Amino acid sequence: MATLEKLNSKMVAAQINHGEQVFARKGAMLSYTGEVNFIPSTTGGASIGGFVGRIVAGENVPLMIAQGQGNVLFGHGGYQVKIIQLDGANSLTVEADKLLIYDGSLTAGTQFLAQGGGVRALAQGQMTGQGLCTTVLSGVGNAVVMSHGPVFEIPIGGGEVAVDPQAYIGHVGAVDVKLDMNVSWRDAVGKGSGEAFQLKMTGNGTVYVQASERKIK
Amino acid sequence: MTQALNAQTLPVNDNVNPYAFCVDVNGQYFVQKGKMIAYYGQIKFEALSMGGLSQLVAGHFSSPLYHQDWIVATGQGKLILGDRGFDINSFDLEDGNLTVRASSLLGFDPTLILKQSIVPGFLTLIGSGKFLASSNGAVHFVEPPVRVDPQALLGWADCPSPCHHYDHTYMASVMGMVGNMFGRGGSGEEHQLDFTGAGTVLMQSSEDVNDTGILREMQAQIPVLGVAGLQQVQMTVNQRLAQEQAHQ
Repeated sequence: MATLEKLNSKMVAAQINHGEQVFARKGAMLSYTGEVNFIPSTTGGASIGGFVGRIVAGENVPLMIAQGQGNVLFGHGGYQVKIIQLDGANSLTVEADKLLIYDGSLTAGTQFLAQGGGVRALAQGQMTGQGLCTTVLSGVGNAVVMSHGPVFEIPIGGGEVAVDPQAYIGHVGAVDVKLDMNVSWRDAVGKGSGEAFQLKMTGNGTVYVQASERKIK
Repeated sequence: MTQALNAQTLPVNDNVNPYAFCVDVNGQYFVQKGKMIAYYGQIKFEALSMGGLSQLVAGHFSSPLYHQDWIVATGQGKLILGDRGFDINSFDLEDGNLTVRASSLLGFDPTLILKQSIVPGFLTLIGSGKFLASSNGAVHFVEPPVRVDPQALLGWADCPSPCHHYDHTYMASVMGMVGNMFGRGGSGEEHQLDFTGAGTVLMQSSEDVNDTGILREMQAQIPVLGVAGLQQVQMTVNQRLAQEQAHQ
């Protein structure tokens, strides 16, 4: 398992030893010392099935694998970084474009955010401007997510938590996510509140939210 | 609620907050155009082309390519500088040399001498004095040997100029080639700047390359080319344009 260290609000360092791998968003490497190789990856550590899933789901953020022996600094586009530790008991669900790096010890898969999927989910994804599908990381290891502005954690336990889809980064734990539409004729004529879509979350876990509605590119 | 600042309570040659810096101007001070956000006192701003400044410019600003981006603040007062919400830091140079990204250099004392770096888009400061530089996020210092993504490079001090490093494994791998064919190359993983020797490298979180400096230096090379060379450049540019348009 690679050791991660947060250097400042926008940079994270990964100490990689022989036999360890770190999956990273392509272009996220800022610098490195030592002998480190970067290999483009299309599957992101997922099986062939997962790979096909990624394509179908439009999760096409290119990934690469960093391996070898050395210290690599990661960051992207001036976005802030947050390290999330996974203990194996709970998995992290995160949008692919908000994922900076993750440990090779984690297994990656894809999942439709709006449970049930289908045409309705597709339409919802299009309308909210949010990715239809998210990456699910499970196992023991670290993942680093990106946010515009600082990220904050909202615990989910018992009650329902509603999050703006554009401010949503990801969540950890056994959480049910439902995309809720509250569209009235006002939205159709452009006089809506701008809060017609919400992610309603229930269950046990934590949701990570950024203090901004800017989409990460 | 913090106390409102005025000419007396503003810090002297210090950060107002991480994103704004107050310079105590007493005499002359070089400022990058468009970075002044406020000032107190009797300060006038003049383009480097102004007649009265020719001696100062001749001795301390040796880079005609960047003349149009810089002004000189003259007089007495407090000058507040800011840059795209980036963190601003003041650096002290003592009989040294430091090279910094041209777009990140906000201002410098006229005790320093500015020259254009060999690396396109960078400027070198020589001598003793203070200068201000902005960075996307806090500045991170590393020691060579290190390889840095060109976009994450803020500058370097004392060490020799970097050389290019190309990752052969990355470029040779099949997907890397496919990536390059589809114009997805150039993300930094196949190309880094390699620093060796003793010194310090300054890094920032990556920024989008919107360096007009690189463009200007390319344009400055154009007169050297003959007709055959110009035609080749035109072909390359047309090909890139076609690629870009196909992706939109």
